[in-house]
Amino acid sequence: MRIQSKKSMISYFLVSPYLVHLILFVSFPVIFSVVLTFHKWNIISEMQYVGIDNYTRLFQDRLFWKSLVNTLTFLVVHIPLQIIIALALAYILDQKIFCKGFFRATFFLPVVISGVVVTMIWKQLYGVDTGLINKLLVSIGLGKVEWMTNKNIAMISIAIMATWKNVGLYVILFLVGLQSVPQRYYEAADVEGASRWQKFRYITLPAINPTIFMVTILSTIGGFNLFIEPYIMTGGGPLNSTLSAVLYIYKQAFEFYHMGYSASLGLIFAFIIMMVVVIQKYMIEKDE
Amino acid sequence: MKRISQYGIYLFLLVILSACSGGKNDRDSILEYWSSNNIGEITFSQKIVEAWNLEHPGSTLKFQPIPEGQSSEEIILAAVVGKTTPDIYSNMWQGSVEFYAKANVLIPLDTLAGFDNFIRDRCDSLTIREITSSDGHIYQFPWKINPFMTIYNKKFLAELNLDSLPETYTEYLNAAEKFKKDLTGDGYIDQWFGNTSVRLVWYQRLFNFYTLYIAASDGLPLIKNNRASFNNEYAIGVFRFLQEIYKQDYFSKEDQTAGQDPFLAGKIASKFTGPWEIEYLERYKPEGFEFDYFPIPVPDDHQGPIYTYCDPKSIVIFNTCREPQLAFEFIKTMVDKKGDLLFLQSTKQLPRRKGLDTIKAYENFFNENQRLQAFVEQAKYIRGMDNCEVITEVFDIITQEYEACVLYDMKEPEKAIADAERAVNILLGNRK
Repeated sequence: MRIQSKKSMISYFLVSPYLVHLILFVSFPVIFSVVLTFHKWNIISEMQYVGIDNYTRLFQDRLFWKSLVNTLTFLVVHIPLQIIIALALAYILDQKIFCKGFFRATFFLPVVISGVVVTMIWKQLYGVDTGLINKLLVSIGLGKVEWMTNKNIAMISIAIMATWKNVGLYVILFLVGLQSVPQRYYEAADVEGASRWQKFRYITLPAINPTIFMVTILSTIGGFNLFIEPYIMTGGGPLNSTLSAVLYIYKQAFEFYHMGYSASLGLIFAFIIMMVVVIQKYMIEKDE
Repeated sequence: MKRISQYGIYLFLLVILSACSGGKNDRDSILEYWSSNNIGEITFSQKIVEAWNLEHPGSTLKFQPIPEGQSSEEIILAAVVGKTTPDIYSNMWQGSVEFYAKANVLIPLDTLAGFDNFIRDRCDSLTIREITSSDGHIYQFPWKINPFMTIYNKKFLAELNLDSLPETYTEYLNAAEKFKKDLTGDGYIDQWFGNTSVRLVWYQRLFNFYTLYIAASDGLPLIKNNRASFNNEYAIGVFRFLQEIYKQDYFSKEDQTAGQDPFLAGKIASKFTGPWEIEYLERYKPEGFEFDYFPIPVPDDHQGPIYTYCDPKSIVIFNTCREPQLAFEFIKTMVDKKGDLLFLQSTKQLPRRKGLDTIKAYENFFNENQRLQAFVEQAKYIRGMDNCEVITEVFDIITQEYEACVLYDMKEPEKAIADAERAVNILLGNRK
């Protein structure tokens, strides 16, 4: 008993640093945020209890709902693009090609570069008058594209950039998935005379379904956190078309110091993300 | 072994606890002063503090530039929250003062002995009225200004054969039409008459809309008696003027922050800027590059002197200061005539003081720095910022309408200004 008790004490002692971290930097902020949603606070004055005023305001705040629509627009473009490109690149890398290692490293490189650096580079590439992409288009006889100044395509431009930045990570994940598909399935298919597309459609895709599910969830959660790109590139414009939910929450908190209101925005947003992920999981498991 | 581990843990805890101690209570100096991290201001502050400490060995002052961060406003806010503010801080933007004053974080300077006479000796009644908070107290000491003007490339404007410098909207637009060019022949303009930020951050409006509004309206406020007061011909005129500029491609809609400075590179002929540009241009200008300044453009029917936004910065004393009267005595040494001359010499920035051009002691300095003469003249006609706790949100609302009307021509100026007025009144109504 004494030895068991001593072992338990040592165990608690060993996990205590993480427990302290969890309480101080996770649990306390979450609980405080929930409490804050019922208050008005500008950081430097006393907190003022306002009941459900913040929530009432939230449901009437057109800009918040627009930011949610913008975020969903980003996801609708970014997730399929990312999955298709990542899968295609992984499929190619899974074949016998020259300098495979070099291409793997190159595709992964943008993932490890700072998001701020990537965004600033793409901001210059997308420049209407001095951007490299438009200069290229004009040199081959095409017109300039208002990548970041046209409200109908600005978010799509951001989605393309975000795909370029993150696709490398998912290429690696898909590559692992592809390499875990048993070879004997393909051999059996070869015996049956299946075409390349048939093998991909009826063997590869079902076999890597768990990987597709994981990539979809990760992309969705990552996509909902869209902040750096619109913050640096557009500030939420043109005409609030790239204002993401996180950027709006940030502005309310750190530009206007509406801490209580931004906490309520954050809470509702977190709830929405949770619902989306649950629905995704249900739909994918239903398919299986 | 067990004992060694125990003593090791005690020693570790002791080191951590002693490192964590410290702060205001432990310092040797009576007062702490933060300046901005501008090199000139650091030099000035070091000299002033040194002189003070020599004369006041019993009331020494510790100086440091503001700690590094994304912005000085962020650092000050963090210091206020953490109650680690200095006693004295210079470089406080005038627009921020009301926010901190309402939170009772600042000392009302007018409660300090000698303040009234000192401020009346330095500033005119308009400035004093401008810096007086809504509760009737004064929480800031006006320190320095950087008046906005229009800088221009002398060679480019000479080539346009204009009758005079384009100081009115029509003259400016006509000059812009003459200057814009498609240099590469690809059907797109790549030489513009000017440039101003298209970023949708509230403070960028200070460099375009607000400066032009001050010039057009002779310094009318945006907010008066807790209501929007900018729905007038001047704001509408400014929106229309800027809308026309972008419609006709006289300014680029691109940020142009990468690559060489477009003014130095000859891509633009003018821009709205302040005296800080002088030193930068003198250092980096190519051979033969000449520039000068003229006032901000105004409506065609404008009469009288042309006002401008002066980007004012003030000195404040935080409520954590235990010796506010002593702090004020130090501030007086920073901003008396001798202190202002040292400030001019160290920073080439203008003190916010009436009659700058009449003070004999400053004559030699201005004779040696002829480029500043235009700004000294302009300094007679300046406006700062309204005292409004939510001024940043007011500018954000204006920015939304600015984008829709000026940049994307989706609204008429009258509607844009009216919509901005409505939104601001709702915002101010919610503050009651």
